[in-house]
Amino acid sequence: MLKMDLAKTLGILPRSIWVFLCNSGSCNGCDIEIVATLTPRYDIERFGMKLVGSPRHADALLVTGPVTKYMTERLKHIYDQMPDPKVVIVVGNCGCSGDVFYKSYNLDGPVDQVLPVDVYVHGCPPRPEAIIEGVAKAVLKLEALRESLNSKEADVADVAQS
Amino acid sequence: MMLGTVQSGFGYWNVYAWIIFFALAAVLVFYFRSAGRSDYKAGTYQDEIFYGGNPVPKDGDEIAVPASSAYWGFTEALSPFYKLLLSLHTGIASDYMGYFVITMALVSVLIVL
Repeated sequence: MLKMDLAKTLGILPRSIWVFLCNSGSCNGCDIEIVATLTPRYDIERFGMKLVGSPRHADALLVTGPVTKYMTERLKHIYDQMPDPKVVIVVGNCGCSGDVFYKSYNLDGPVDQVLPVDVYVHGCPPRPEAIIEGVAKAVLKLEALRESLNSKEADVADVAQS
Repeated sequence: MMLGTVQSGFGYWNVYAWIIFFALAAVLVFYFRSAGRSDYKAGTYQDEIFYGGNPVPKDGDEIAVPASSAYWGFTEALSPFYKLLLSLHTGIASDYMGYFVITMALVSVLIVL
């Protein structure tokens, strides 16, 4: 009984997605909207989602900005520091497409030129509702990734046993 | 004896109580440690401390904030006093012998008076 309850609890826990925010050269407009999702009006933390201070604690990487040349290596570094499985969410037109900065001399972006992006949230800046929807999509993707990783591990264990 | 209970008036000291306390603390520490994730990829960036996405300096002193920073204002406020003390400490033995002789003379005068 206790074991079943524990399994159920542990099954729910991963759905509390922890997000690390990286500003790769944004004007801060998107970042302000991301902070707005934490305010009592939207209160994203009631879903167990929260911003964390280290990529090593994060399930998702939230990227704003069109990725300036200075930020490219740092962004890759941060992504590499996140534990698997992980998803990348791009917030704002700049990160999604480069927007008005497209083909600018000092950009390596948009973000999908640097990292594998899972969810795009358009808008300049996107409304908090859109950001929450994007993160909710990321949760579904993360669950699928987690299942595939678990099945791979199970396959490896089966091969090792046989 | 050292192994018995020592009453201080404010509480007590007991070796066995401390051993039990440390054993409980150790159990908690190992429990929290075992609750951590073990599926990280060792030897990659996942294994490295987070330093804002920047390469981590090999010399820890470059990123460490010394403890003396916490009382910088204190030393700054008392700097005239510290300067006087530092100037007295010349490192020359004859100076120290001079201070000794002067102090002994003053103490002798006080005793005689």
